[in-house]
Amino acid sequence: MLKSFRKPKKKRALRIFFATDVHGSDVCFRKFLAAAKVYEADVLLLGGDFAGKGLVPVLRNDDGSLRAELDGKEVTVPTEGWAQLAADINRRGFYATQLHSGELAELRGDPGALDRLFRSEIAAQAERWCQLAAERLDPAVRCIITPGNDDPVDADPVYAADKRVEFPSGTVCDLGPVAMASLGVVPYTPWHTERECSEEDLAKEISSLVDSVPGGRTCIMNFHCPPYGTGLDDAPELDATLKPVIRGGRPSIVPVGSHAVRDAIKKYQPPVSLHGHIHESRGVQRLGRTLCVNPGSDYSSGVLRGAVVDIAEDGTCLDFLLTTG
Amino acid sequence: MASSDAAAGTATAGDPGAGRLFIRQTSGLVRELGIPAAIGISLASVAVVNTFINFNAGLTDFAKADMYLPLVAAAIIWLVAMYAYRHLLRAVPRAGGEYVYLSRIVSPVVGSMAGLGIAVVFTYVLSTNAHFAAQFTPFMLSGLGSAFHSTAIANAGNHLGSNLSIAWLSVIVMLIVAALSLFSVKIVARIIFWLIVLQVVAFVALIGVLAFHSHADFVTVLGKYSNHPGAYNAIIAGGKANGVVFGTAIASAVAIIPFMVLNYNGVLYSYYVGGELRRPGRTYLIASAVSIGVLVVLWVGVWAILRARAGLTFMQAQANLSVINPTAYGKITSLSSVAGGLGYGMILSPDPITKILFATAVPFAEIAVNLAFLTVTTRVLFAQAFDRLLPVSVAKIGERNHAPNVAIGIVVVVGIGFCFLTSLVALGNIVALQSLFFALILLAGGVAAWLLPLRRADLVDTSGMPESARTGFLRKIAWIGGATTVLALFTVFELVTHPKVYGKFSWESILTLVIVLGAGPVIYVIARSVRRQRDSLDLAMAMHELPPE
Repeated sequence: MLKSFRKPKKKRALRIFFATDVHGSDVCFRKFLAAAKVYEADVLLLGGDFAGKGLVPVLRNDDGSLRAELDGKEVTVPTEGWAQLAADINRRGFYATQLHSGELAELRGDPGALDRLFRSEIAAQAERWCQLAAERLDPAVRCIITPGNDDPVDADPVYAADKRVEFPSGTVCDLGPVAMASLGVVPYTPWHTERECSEEDLAKEISSLVDSVPGGRTCIMNFHCPPYGTGLDDAPELDATLKPVIRGGRPSIVPVGSHAVRDAIKKYQPPVSLHGHIHESRGVQRLGRTLCVNPGSDYSSGVLRGAVVDIAEDGTCLDFLLTTG
Repeated sequence: MASSDAAAGTATAGDPGAGRLFIRQTSGLVRELGIPAAIGISLASVAVVNTFINFNAGLTDFAKADMYLPLVAAAIIWLVAMYAYRHLLRAVPRAGGEYVYLSRIVSPVVGSMAGLGIAVVFTYVLSTNAHFAAQFTPFMLSGLGSAFHSTAIANAGNHLGSNLSIAWLSVIVMLIVAALSLFSVKIVARIIFWLIVLQVVAFVALIGVLAFHSHADFVTVLGKYSNHPGAYNAIIAGGKANGVVFGTAIASAVAIIPFMVLNYNGVLYSYYVGGELRRPGRTYLIASAVSIGVLVVLWVGVWAILRARAGLTFMQAQANLSVINPTAYGKITSLSSVAGGLGYGMILSPDPITKILFATAVPFAEIAVNLAFLTVTTRVLFAQAFDRLLPVSVAKIGERNHAPNVAIGIVVVVGIGFCFLTSLVALGNIVALQSLFFALILLAGGVAAWLLPLRRADLVDTSGMPESARTGFLRKIAWIGGATTVLALFTVFELVTHPKVYGKFSWESILTLVIVLGAGPVIYVIARSVRRQRDSLDLAMAMHELPPE
């Protein structure tokens, strides 16, 4: 009798595991791939800022040993210790590159050469990650990677050309019960990164992207920048020298998300919007009917933060869970 | 490291030196807190003037009490704990404190026990802080009356001593805190900062006032203030007549250590923002060591100067006589004994400004601490909501003020309820084990550090270490965790063996502790089973450790 009054239970048609801002951490990417099995995900989605931030030069000594600085301490290992040393460096999200002292001095005096080295390391890592995805993932699991503002465009062709990984940057892709619009561009930041624009331009880009979704089709959003003032975008306030402003002994925290993203969520009301960009603002908020998620990031400690999102056959959001692994 | 004026996407070299890191110009690089910011967080989390309340409690509850040994011993306990939390922070460098450490290292059930327990107890602490501020209102009015030469203001305090008045004053304090919390976090941080500045200025002014007066000055002004020329000696004589035992005893000093352990509570709180610290282990360690050092110097210094000016015998007599025989004490003087050193400073103070500072120091300190505690408590509720142990709406952010209005509302409503219960109902039995709970939190930190190398050695960064060094390092962490556990157990032992002072074991108090500690695991188990049945999502997934290989 009671059963007839209950809403019929919706069935899960799609499970997305979403992570973001791994910033070059091999450990986090490997965990990201392992998440498909552990969380029984149908789609793995890496939402931007996959590129590393730092590069540790490893000096080749005359005696064949390798020398590098890790966390302010000098570490010397024999040549055969290279793989372990590189892994230790990468655990922090940095690239390890072997150099002679002459090459290091040259690199110091030539920002252009350093920039090229960074870009080539990021592209090389993209190739390694694509290969790893092909080796480790079940063929039934889709692996989608989209860029963020910190990712140089040099890695785009690598991901775009790969057969195992999908790279729907600035486009809409089909996930079965829902479509997904992805955008890695963010409003201007104090760091002038590669994928930035004004709020007005971002609003136009979002409109043209979401309006391209066929009528009646439910579309979720995968926008790197979180919506403004939702608690998913709280970051330390910075002074003119990019140092955190301290008030009352604590960092002053201000919202730094996008008004355009917020307006778009309010206008289109997707069931779910997935965001990153602000590592420390892990959380979930609702804007109207939309569940907005920022799983945050803790890549430097080798911890993968993510979100499991279940979608029903009719495209509605069934449930979610923030994960830390 | 990165130059701020570099062109888009360019890379810049770090400082010269062999093998130094090169940093790419990307967003978020400077979102790192250094040592000064971490010291600020640690010191802001300790109510510096509350030490007078603890001095008074120690003098009242133990015969032959002295504070030198308790202050130093408690600092040593926190120093050892500081190393334990350092290793926890390095292994799990993120916000959340014991909830996160226990859930990752021990089990989600134990983590949820700490998480919900902390939320409930911190909410109760908000009400006790408000209650403290309310109890200090007569002292504040007396000080303000003295500063403005107004007997009307001074006497107003006499009408605010009833339980109902204290209850309403507590509610007013809670409402002030709630109203201030509805401002943006930025403004709240500014308010806390200025309230802390006032507190520190009052503390420094007090040291100055005491330093520039002699013992004879103190005896004279106490007589004048009390309209009783022999007030000083009369209080000592009154104490003696009422059985107060003077002098010092090691056993009392040891028994007071838990008071002082609670006094320092908060001094390590920079681990709560572990995810934002630059080189978390090192930054946290230096900040905590400096903060403990500053507090030891300030508190031991002020105790030494109080002993020199007022005298230990007088302080012991005053604290005890006002409790044992308040009528006799009231006949000698109207000086509040609970205010302790602040009261001495107020009567010695030569000008109205310092009088106002001393009079308002405790209420302002309690408002500052409550604002900070409200933020911490709402953060803990947030964490529970994100882990789906509480409804997601608890973490809803207000559109206008960007503040967690729902979480603030829950904490304030429950806190106001506690205010009435604290003032009007004999709540003493129910919350008697509050001090024990705080000691158990310290114990939880010690156990988590001890178990870290035993259960989750993979979380300890031993990169660049040969196997023998790695084993030694893990053993060292286990020893430090073990030492913290032993010291926390000592604190627990002292609390348990002095139930008259630190909280009686009755069926009410034990049941309350069991409910507070058991609520988290029960909610976790229920929420997990309901969600698994309804939505096929397992809450335990939130804390799975993903295999990288």
